[in-house]
Amino acid sequence: MDNPAIYLWIPIIIVSFLSIIKMISKGGSEGKPWIRIEKVEDNE
Amino acid sequence: MNNHLTMRSGNPALQASTFKKHLASSVESKMTISGTVNKTGISLLLVIISAGYAWGNPAMHVLMLPAGIFGFILALATVFKPTIGHITVPAYAVAQGILLGVISMYFNALYPGIVVQAVFLTFGTLGALLLAYKSGLIAATENFKLGIVAATGGIAILYFINFIMGFFGSGIGIISDNSNMGILFSGFVVVIAALNLVLDFDFIEEGAEMGAPKYMEWYGAFGLLVTLIWLYLEILRLLAKLNSRR
Repeated sequence: MDNPAIYLWIPIIIVSFLSIIKMISKGGSEGKPWIRIEKVEDNE
Repeated sequence: MNNHLTMRSGNPALQASTFKKHLASSVESKMTISGTVNKTGISLLLVIISAGYAWGNPAMHVLMLPAGIFGFILALATVFKPTIGHITVPAYAVAQGILLGVISMYFNALYPGIVVQAVFLTFGTLGALLLAYKSGLIAATENFKLGIVAATGGIAILYFINFIMGFFGSGIGIISDNSNMGILFSGFVVVIAALNLVLDFDFIEEGAEMGAPKYMEWYGAFGLLVTLIWLYLEILRLLAKLNSRR
């Protein structure tokens, strides 16, 4: 066991990964896309 | 709107009736999540600055015990009179920072690098639990709250018994020893401390939804700060146990 702190990062990474998967799968809490490209009007 | 019908928190500062006692009138400004986040950030900054100062100044080490006692008094003042939170919470953050700075310095002297690891793990846990809460991966259901409150209460009783036993030159082995059981126990305490963060997020969200008064932002920040300090100390203890076996 060189650096025991590495083992403590494993659950943190797993929880973060599962949370991101869950967020993506339900399209965010409000169902909005993460990235939105808006149309730029001529007079803008 | 309100999906937190009854509130439970393992954190003694965050109780079910807290917001009901301090509901804002329609004319005064109300608690917001962003306001609470800002005040948590200010409090954490004060903890880090005072901890860094205490670490670098050996003269501050004599202040360790007074800072601990003063911090405890300020915590009680915040719990019983949340309206003065704008004074007591920053002062509590400074006092706890001094205490953490001195404790961290001693741990780092024993196991170099352990403090940086504990700080990153604490903020890593905060980030992961915030993601889990926002995504709904971990929901603060009534059974979840009941379980965390019961486990936190059990740990508090165990620590109190250990504290009393300390006066007679004894103690509960698994709290401080580096046996397999000792490490398992510390791991369990870290998990419970981390899950208390979910209860704190729920409490803050509930306060904002219920329209609690503005000063409750300091109270919400205080609750989060108490949990984060506990989590940091438990991670530090667990890392020290693991390092002592190398």
